[in-house]
Amino acid sequence: MNIGILGSGPWGRALATLAAEAGNRARIGYRGTPPTGFPGSPNLAALTAESDLVLIAVPPSAVREVVRFARPGPGSRVVIACRGLEPETGGWLSEIVTSESACLRVGAITGPAIAAEVQHRRPAAMVVASSFQEVAALTQKALHSPTCRIYTSSDLRGIELAGAAVSVLSVAVGIADGLKLGVGVRAVIVTRGIAEIVRLGRALGAEPDTFRGLAGVGDLIAAAGLTDHPGTAAGLALARGHAVDAETVSKAAALLALGQRHKVELPLVEAVAAITAGKLKARLAIDGLMRREATHEG
Amino acid sequence: MTGILDRPSNAQISQSLQARSRARLRGLSEAQLLAYLADTVYLERKRFHEQRRSDPARPDEVARIEDCARATRGGRAEQEAALLALVDAYSGEIHNRFSKRAYRVATTVIPGALSRLLTSTNPRQLLAGEFDPDHRVILETAAGDDGAALRALARRHTLIFAPTHLSNMDSPLIGYALDRLGLPPAIYGAGLNLFSNPVMGFFMRRLGAYTVDRRKRNRLYKDVLKDYSVDSLGRRCHSLFFPGGTRCRSGRVEGSVKKGLLGTGLIAWQEGLRTGRADPEILVVPLALSYSLVLEAETLIEDSLEEEGRRRYIITDDEFSEPRTVATFARQLLDLDDAVVLRFGAPMDLLGNPVDANGTSLGSDGAPIDRRAYVTDAEGKVQADEQRDHVYTEILAGRLVEAWHRDNTVLSTHLASFAAGRLLRQANPGLSTTELVLLPTEERTLRRAELLAAIEQLLDQVRRLEAAGRIRARLPRGEGEVEAILNEAISRFRGFHSRRVIEGRGDRVVLDPRLLLYYSHRLHRYGLAGEM
Repeated sequence: MNIGILGSGPWGRALATLAAEAGNRARIGYRGTPPTGFPGSPNLAALTAESDLVLIAVPPSAVREVVRFARPGPGSRVVIACRGLEPETGGWLSEIVTSESACLRVGAITGPAIAAEVQHRRPAAMVVASSFQEVAALTQKALHSPTCRIYTSSDLRGIELAGAAVSVLSVAVGIADGLKLGVGVRAVIVTRGIAEIVRLGRALGAEPDTFRGLAGVGDLIAAAGLTDHPGTAAGLALARGHAVDAETVSKAAALLALGQRHKVELPLVEAVAAITAGKLKARLAIDGLMRREATHEG
Repeated sequence: MTGILDRPSNAQISQSLQARSRARLRGLSEAQLLAYLADTVYLERKRFHEQRRSDPARPDEVARIEDCARATRGGRAEQEAALLALVDAYSGEIHNRFSKRAYRVATTVIPGALSRLLTSTNPRQLLAGEFDPDHRVILETAAGDDGAALRALARRHTLIFAPTHLSNMDSPLIGYALDRLGLPPAIYGAGLNLFSNPVMGFFMRRLGAYTVDRRKRNRLYKDVLKDYSVDSLGRRCHSLFFPGGTRCRSGRVEGSVKKGLLGTGLIAWQEGLRTGRADPEILVVPLALSYSLVLEAETLIEDSLEEEGRRRYIITDDEFSEPRTVATFARQLLDLDDAVVLRFGAPMDLLGNPVDANGTSLGSDGAPIDRRAYVTDAEGKVQADEQRDHVYTEILAGRLVEAWHRDNTVLSTHLASFAAGRLLRQANPGLSTTELVLLPTEERTLRRAELLAAIEQLLDQVRRLEAAGRIRARLPRGEGEVEAILNEAISRFRGFHSRRVIEGRGDRVVLDPRLLLYYSHRLHRYGLAGEM
């Protein structure tokens, strides 16, 4: 199979590695410097037209522009391989593909696969979701190999939400680590963070089990164990009183706005949004969370 | 070109439907075939029992089911034969009695006799009198023309008209609208109960209605109905689907759609591509209906308010079953300016993409796209995938729902009802909708001035939605428009329903919350606060 990967960063190259491991021909679409190790093309539209499956591995803020350049058509199958909501609109990345192009067959892939580990051929696992079984099956065929297990799901909304949530909750983990609050707090963030997202997922029609699997708990545990994970690293920086990049700020704000639109309370996400936006000090935020009214677990 | 005017014989239809069923049955394992047969026997026997007093089954119907029952103990050939005999019987029941001659007569007289169509008890009474419906039944098209764009598409492609569904008057009105726009007739499925009104039954059959017996719930019957639709589309019969299924009980613009019949478009299209049929392309035309008054409003909202509303999927005792009631209503409704608005929305392909004047699909950037690539492989060969098609149909359903909301036309009765309902809601913040509709008279009385202010505020919101292209409105305009809207609504409501929806009493108005709820629902799903 011809696999087109749009995005030449570490994650794009990691996906190309997985596709090659699974016996497929991977090509990387890039803008700027050509990638090393894999054939590449600066012509995203041509690459898309020639690919059986297209994986988008750019930051959420760049997805719309990439789709406009790539112009996937009615015969294309496109899978979002990045986490988050579109910062400006708060929209789902898969819906950007369907609204900006004639492509309808879309999916999303996420899970605890770390770019550097994948490139070193260490075992990994991810989950791909699509309303179209053929898209999920095709992605499984494209990336499943002895070094990476790919599971399939039909819960596209849940998978996209889980990805967006992990990118924000990992910031909370970084903050707690930076403030040296201990392993217990890290576990609290993971479990209570997932509980928040399960609530939001329910409101959006997602399946709760999705968040307890690779895309939710699995991905968050991996992020929590990595100091150079983008979210965790941002949290560590915040704990030291440094500002973070605009992408991190907008990811938290977009997720919080989504919760507000659906009238779902997201205390941890709200705290991260306030800290990343510079509206609240990290330690005060933790204090505020601990002083919330006592309640049942759920 | 073929189509409804070249109606196939019962034998041709039966042969075609049996061939489709045979292919389906051959794809079943022995266990699946037995389950299919047993499901049919069980549900048909149950139906016979349930309607033994009201409408006893005919001996031949019973005999066929008992043949099926015996076949459950036989071999595969016997089981298939029993089911195919049933397919033959069903195809005879379903196939419309469309008559070219009757159609021509009907379409000639209908423009001058719509009111009589709805008021006569004898079809022969239809032939006299003049009636100018231009200001009563408003026809609009997305192209803003007299239907020329749709006529051009209908010459080259098969069209599926997909309307919202509010009343049993919808299908004759749509038949009339198609004729007035110079569009060819369309076939449509109509419940058996609708034929109880003799005049309507006569014309419904002859204007392309085929019979749907909703009491038959077995899988074979449903499959035969779908096959009939696929077959008809394949014969280039323009079709009228009500994707919402039954009439919307709540009065809302439908927010969801039944996928079964809608999905037959994709099947017929792919079949046409696969077999190399000439003109295989099928397009969908959303159609939004807005009535000032709805004949069956009282029964429908009662049903909607009852939790078991869904059980009354087939309402046989509503206002529509009484010819005299239909007559009174039609006289009063059709005496009103802007009584009904039928807006034909922008045509789309079966994936929900817009199409240009030639029927070519357009992408989000307005560039042409090859829609066949949605269902073909790189070599252009059609790839069968039922699950994919199910998702495509969901996507189409979503686009239809969006189109219906965009094309929904707010009339004075809807606006005044929503404004009054909003005030009732504000005055009773703790009450549920069910409790609101049970308020005693003294608690459902408003000051007229208060209602006028609420209408003015809502009008402003509706105008903004209209400017954003999210809804349409046909309301009195200019100086004194708010007063005019309320007066028009009160006057219209005075006309028909047994209970006045909004009744003026000096400086006060008295409301009927049930009907208020029904009419206010036309503004549901636009993000307007204070809904009842």
